[in-house]
Amino acid sequence: MPAIDGTSLSILLATSFTILLIGYLTAISSKDVIRLLISLEMMFGAVFLALVPLFSVAHLVNTAFAIAIVTIFASSGELLILISAISILDRQKRSVKTDVVTIGGDKL
Amino acid sequence: MILLAALAGVAVLFALGVLVSSDNFYSALFMSVTLVLVATIYAFFSLQPVFVLILFIFVGAIGIVTVALAATYRTAPEQQVSWFWAIPVALTALILAEAISFYPLDGSIVPSTINFQLVNFIPHLEYLLLVVFLIALVLLLLLSVLRMGVGGRS
Repeated sequence: MPAIDGTSLSILLATSFTILLIGYLTAISSKDVIRLLISLEMMFGAVFLALVPLFSVAHLVNTAFAIAIVTIFASSGELLILISAISILDRQKRSVKTDVVTIGGDKL
Repeated sequence: MILLAALAGVAVLFALGVLVSSDNFYSALFMSVTLVLVATIYAFFSLQPVFVLILFIFVGAIGIVTVALAATYRTAPEQQVSWFWAIPVALTALILAEAISFYPLDGSIVPSTINFQLVNFIPHLEYLLLVVFLIALVLLLLLSVLRMGVGGRS
């Protein structure tokens, strides 16, 4: 079983930060909801990678696993909400591009 | 160490593929490969339960649904990244690098060999309660989506 030393920790955190940054850049460059969904999942992937060092601290192992489960559920919820958004956009605007959304919030 | 660095490097390369690809379908495929490599890093540290969770639920379900959505709504998006974003990105990277380099390693949290067993997680009642609440949340969201997709008009 490989131990986590300083170098491994640096590799993991640097990779996590890079993937998170790429997720941010993809999100701000996205012009449709599908690409936004892809970028959000990249960010969740970065979160998973950043969790690995927590498993190496004895009293944080269960907490790290709980965070991993919460992250998976959050990602599932995000997917369902974005599927709803895609469905509504496609039905009402006949497009999944974000520029068809002209105002924020909801009309009650 | 070399294997870990190689895995991380390939993961970053595939993540870059997500950014530079102009086709959402290929971006979704690159994203799936990146997430599989993230799961592989967990397997590298012998964290099999998390590896299975990520591979079968996160990639196997969520990732594949994303690929299917991208294939259904397949268009070539225009890139709109302004180079002015390089300024806050560089500033953030600088601040993070400085924070990491000056971080005092007092030894209170020392990384060591990973010893993780799922059997220690399951008896905790609060974690089980958390999982039950999360499943209820996802089911409620799923019912909303199904209602919207089957016949509802919002």
